[in-house]
Amino acid sequence: MAVQVSETVTGVLAAAQARLSAWLGGPEEAITFLGRIPLSAVALCTRRARFPWPDFLRVTLQCSAQALLIVIAVNLLVGAILAFVGAVQLNKFGAGIYVADLVGISMVREMAAVMTAVVMAGRSGAAFAAELATMQSNEEVDALEVLGMDTAAWLVVPRILALTVILPLLYVFACAAGLLGGLLVATGMMNLSESAYLDRSALILITPHFAIGATKSVCFGFLIGLTGCWYGLTASRTAAGVGEATTRAVVASIVWVIVLDAVFALCAHALGV
Amino acid sequence: MDAASQIRTPSSLPVLEVRELALRFGSRLVQERMSFAVAPRTIFAIVGVSGCGKSTLLRSLIGLMVPASGQVLYGGADYWAAGSAQRKHLRTGCGMLFQSAALWSSMTVEQNIDLALRQLTTLGEAQRVTRIAEVLAWVGLEKFGNFRPADLSGGMKKHAALARAIAGAPPLLLLDEPSAGLDPISSCNLDALILDIRSRTGAAVIFVSHELPSLFALADDGIFLDADSKRPIAHGSPRDMLAHSQEPTVHAFMRRQALPASAPAPVRATAPAIAPAPDQTRAHPGP
Ligand SMILES: Nc1ncnc2c1ncn2[C@@H]1O[C@H](COP(=O)(O)OP(=O)(O)OP(=O)(O)O)[C@@H](O)[C@H]1O
Ligand SMILES: [Mg+2]
Repeated sequence: MAVQVSETVTGVLAAAQARLSAWLGGPEEAITFLGRIPLSAVALCTRRARFPWPDFLRVTLQCSAQALLIVIAVNLLVGAILAFVGAVQLNKFGAGIYVADLVGISMVREMAAVMTAVVMAGRSGAAFAAELATMQSNEEVDALEVLGMDTAAWLVVPRILALTVILPLLYVFACAAGLLGGLLVATGMMNLSESAYLDRSALILITPHFAIGATKSVCFGFLIGLTGCWYGLTASRTAAGVGEATTRAVVASIVWVIVLDAVFALCAHALGV
Repeated sequence: MDAASQIRTPSSLPVLEVRELALRFGSRLVQERMSFAVAPRTIFAIVGVSGCGKSTLLRSLIGLMVPASGQVLYGGADYWAAGSAQRKHLRTGCGMLFQSAALWSSMTVEQNIDLALRQLTTLGEAQRVTRIAEVLAWVGLEKFGNFRPADLSGGMKKHAALARAIAGAPPLLLLDEPSAGLDPISSCNLDALILDIRSRTGAAVIFVSHELPSLFALADDGIFLDADSKRPIAHGSPRDMLAHSQEPTVHAFMRRQALPASAPAPVRATAPAIAPAPDQTRAHPGP
């Protein structure tokens, strides 16, 4: 009796394990990849793994100073467009001054973080994927592994770290650019006074909107770095594989940024902020 | 280390031993039933037509590809049965030259070698600089230390990657087509360099090559992998393979001829016209 029970239990467990690993067939690799990142981060902190300072500085420069201009330009235009659309509608109700609130809240809470993330997905996410995919097809990643190096600590962590640190900084510039775009339209088209516009805008910065936007931009930075590295390292070892990895990294980053933004909106709504 | 392998190599423990190894990509078989041992200070050739799985075999020896079955033993320790720390330790005893050179493109040649040295040795800064200069001089790239891989020619990349592979003085060197794409003079120099490395460091060398002169000049032992039957069809030095093997593929390969009977028609029609005389390999005898 006991033998039968134990045989049945073993059989059920084995079947369950087979089902599980069949189901995990694809995602298994992704889970290993995700698991390695915190482990490698710990290895770096405890100095068991090497940190590539020159690479880190190069990547950081690439996604900060060299990206600043385009981030500012895009957000200036988005701020101006919002003000333009808002002004036409709000003027109908004689509530023109509220265009400052409209631009301020939508920029600081949503658009600055999302637009910056989209620009950076196209710039840095694509660059990460292309660079790592090329390294993969040149067997450079294999050469690192043969040396016993922690490839996640050497290739992935510095890139994710750079974007996670830089994106919130770019977000601040993006907010400023968006508000400036709104100001230009409001004062130029609607004859609002600059001081009135800036007074209303300043009120927004002390609300939770700014904190929400900044938190989002940190998460977006992490997400874009992660996606770029993942598609780069899993690319097939051909020239076409590099192109495909780049495209998929950009598309996936943008989709995930929007999905995460929606999740944030739901959470913020549930929390009442 | 068990009794069986002691019996096979009574004089000394092989640096590397492979037992009944089988390699697959998914359900597609690449090679199976590969067994061989590499004695210390041997130059061991892996030979076979393109696509027969030579690079794949090297990758599985060095831990980059999990074999479908069989064992890879380093000095008696089973690589694929070992824990991750021991695997890492075993792997760092191998210097690998990849078929594509695999230099890290974001670093200069010197930095490439330096990273390998920092990872494999405990040398200080000054000692590393000396060692880098030494290995670069060895491969004839003294003047190219601060070049990036993209600024080197294909042959120079191979040499730089060889410098990186030998920098840590590994007891086992794995070279994937070291002389592919080299001119005859450089190729000949490279053969001399490999012999020189062996005599200076006492390392065993496993190399993959299609260059008949190199094979005859260098290899003490070897294995011939067949692409059709997907298993090894000859063992021993190239000269022994030629002397003792009954396999037409081995003879055709070693004499640089087209396969006589079973070869597809287009190959038969064109190849003899460009193939040299049967005994051309005799013109490049080994030392
Ligand atoms: N990533 C892969 N996925 C599936 N099959 C592969 C992969 N890499 C190699 N192969 C197949 O494995 C076989 C052996 O490839 P390998 O690169 O080892 O050949 P090789 O003997 O080194 O050839 P060459 O002399 O041209 O370098 C080939 O038939 C190839 O199609
Ligand atoms: Mg090959």
